[in-house]
Amino acid sequence: MATPITIVDDSAMSRKLMIRALPPEWDIEITQAANGKEALDAYHAGKADVMFLDLTMPVMDGYEVLETLKKEGLNTFVIVVSADIQPKAQERVMSLGAMAFIKKPVNTDEVSRILKEFGII
Amino acid sequence: MSLTPLTEDQRDALQEVLNIAMGQAGDSLARILDAFVELSVPRIRVVDVSHVADTVREMVGDRHEVTAVRQSFFDDLRGEALVIFGANGCKDLADLMGYAEELDQQSERELLLDVANVLVGAILNGITETLGTELSYSAPSIMAEKAQVETLINLDQLSWSHALLLEVNYSLENRDFKSHLLLLMAEEAIDALRGAIDQFMESI
Repeated sequence: MATPITIVDDSAMSRKLMIRALPPEWDIEITQAANGKEALDAYHAGKADVMFLDLTMPVMDGYEVLETLKKEGLNTFVIVVSADIQPKAQERVMSLGAMAFIKKPVNTDEVSRILKEFGII
Repeated sequence: MSLTPLTEDQRDALQEVLNIAMGQAGDSLARILDAFVELSVPRIRVVDVSHVADTVREMVGDRHEVTAVRQSFFDDLRGEALVIFGANGCKDLADLMGYAEELDQQSERELLLDVANVLVGAILNGITETLGTELSYSAPSIMAEKAQVETLINLDQLSWSHALLLEVNYSLENRDFKSHLLLLMAEEAIDALRGAIDQFMESI
């Protein structure tokens, strides 16, 4: 069965870049979300076994999404994809339950490496 | 002169390019200050030149007094980078960088110039790396000290018809410090930027 994944980013181009960076052999069903609120909606609808999450977004940012997921008992694999590359931003999202951190601009090899590392592909 | 507005795709791509550049500049600032820098969502506006001053005031907010540093950039894209600091900005910076005593005016200026230079350099590098453009830039200079925001932009000095304003904010956690970085470009630069963005979008 295809794995439901959600790509969360306020930029349509950035979502497109993320989709292109995913390994072609990975059997997935993609949902796109433009802010944190849409991301949580997708998660509640069971569309986010894996979530690629941007941090800086209007309406609800990535930190708030992580906090909410943590409170609700995190049942998804969150990979933060961020232009905020400060080591502290990375520490923070990991302490909020993110499994991995990818720097923007995204790189295909890096995405594959992380998915393999966690046995997702 | 009329100006073709940016398409939704161009605006979105520009926003993302700025986002990445802002992140790199924020990281440089965080390293200098050893503090966590809070980033905002970058804002993009194309305005008639008569509205530049108002737009800048709206973006920066109605703060009483600001100190601003400017730096020109040229080659593939031409424009001005402005870094606007609040009145207390320097104190916070000096504090974070471990200056024990009160700074005199000269050292205060040097500190603001250094910080502005790091931010502008990082953001312009971020843009040029992503878009594959080439830019050179001048040394930074103090544009205004303890001045009102609305006096920063002198319309008489602008021979432009339209301006593109790109704005990113940096603030520090648990501190008063806030700075705004504005990139101002005239119509020729807007077209050049549009071309670079289109090429970039085609390449992905």
